Amino acid sequence: MKKILLGAAITLAACQLQLTPDSIGKAYKGIKEARKDLTPENEYYVGRAVATNILAKSDYKYRDAAGFDSGKLAGMTAYINAVGSVVALSSLDVKHADDRPTPLAGWHFVILADSTINAFAAPGGFIFVTMGAIEQAGSEDELAAILAHEVAHVRRGHALGSIKKSRFAGVMKETMDSTVTLDQQALGDLTNVFNGAMDDMTDSLLVKGYSRDTEFEADSVGLEIMIRAGYDPAAFVAYLKKLNAHQATGSGGFSATHPKAADRIAKLEKKVAQASKVKVPATRTKRFKAATSDLE
Amino acid sequence: MKRRVLILCSILFVASLAFAAPKAGSIVTVRVLTAKVMKAPKFIGPAAGDVSRGAQLTFQEAKGDWYRVGGTVTGWIHKTNLTERQVTLSSKPGGDGAGNASRDEVELAGRGFTPQVEGEYRNKNPNLDFSHVDKIEKTSIDPAELEAFVTEGKLGGAE
Repeated sequence: MKKILLGAAITLAACQLQLTPDSIGKAYKGIKEARKDLTPENEYYVGRAVATNILAKSDYKYRDAAGFDSGKLAGMTAYINAVGSVVALSSLDVKHADDRPTPLAGWHFVILADSTINAFAAPGGFIFVTMGAIEQAGSEDELAAILAHEVAHVRRGHALGSIKKSRFAGVMKETMDSTVTLDQQALGDLTNVFNGAMDDMTDSLLVKGYSRDTEFEADSVGLEIMIRAGYDPAAFVAYLKKLNAHQATGSGGFSATHPKAADRIAKLEKKVAQASKVKVPATRTKRFKAATSDLE
Repeated sequence: MKRRVLILCSILFVASLAFAAPKAGSIVTVRVLTAKVMKAPKFIGPAAGDVSRGAQLTFQEAKGDWYRVGGTVTGWIHKTNLTERQVTLSSKPGGDGAGNASRDEVELAGRGFTPQVEGEYRNKNPNLDFSHVDKIEKTSIDPAELEAFVTEGKLGGAE
């Protein structure tokens, strides 16, 4: 117990020190856990590259490309960004140890022109939802559940956590020790780490999925975020029930990268039952129908 | 027992330093690419103006996680958008693409992944088109429009 308390005191004291690159380099013994040790600036570049890989996988086909071009979003993309922003901003009031800080470039929500049911969260606040996933949602609150789950992945640093520790072995110390301008060797080493990190994250996001516990955590934190935002927590389970029905007959998409929806429902139902009931106003239903009308 | 109390006190003291707000009049620096300075200490509502990465603002007072600041624009900014130090930051995180970065930038951002590393990655993966993410990250939602959206939908929103 004393050791733990002393360790905590030393850690907190270290937070107060002004570390120079040299002192960081000397103190650095290799990265312990990427999601804790990468700065928001590191996450920003990782996030841009992961997001680009996700878009490439979809042949860069996403809704309202013209709106992103002009900076003025319209239709369903504007709507999903409004819902997503409420959810993402609310997530700052739902605090857990080791949460990732605010993304440097803010939060962005993109609809992929893909009929499979899926959603992806890249580090740095880039969230992608397929048309298929939106088509399954029957209300704004169910859409908010999808987005809250993805926002939770970003806040908890799940993609960054999937980077293998061995990627950093023997590299970061030298590059931290380097002077302001990187030499070619260090730049090459870092680019190799970056490349390997991309492989790890895209593999987790697009192929293998995260561990069951990681997905359950995203559900649990996502539910907290939904409640904080004022959305109906029961909508989370309602959406999962639709996924459960889909999993009985379909495969691929979210089924390949997520635990069984029935298991996720079992984990969430008690928490939903304990949460305050939310009466969804007619205005929310009406605007969801309007925003998704061109899906029909 | 005495030693345990002493350790606990030292933890509380250090923790209080770690979580204390800056002193009034001290300079804080914007760390995110752009941020809204709000008229009230909440995310959703009218904004007083925008600030960009590297902007230096004068801290006036704190209210929870919100700091009232002055400078090119006066209002409230969420503390997660800031670094609570006066530092010189370039508009692009981690310095320019040519590998030049200020000492402040390196201390704050860590060396790790920089525009230079992204440049190398792009050279090695010419099939990847970063122009899409460049456009996507530039879009933002007007907080006043978001306030109307929250009010209409009877949502709690974020304070």
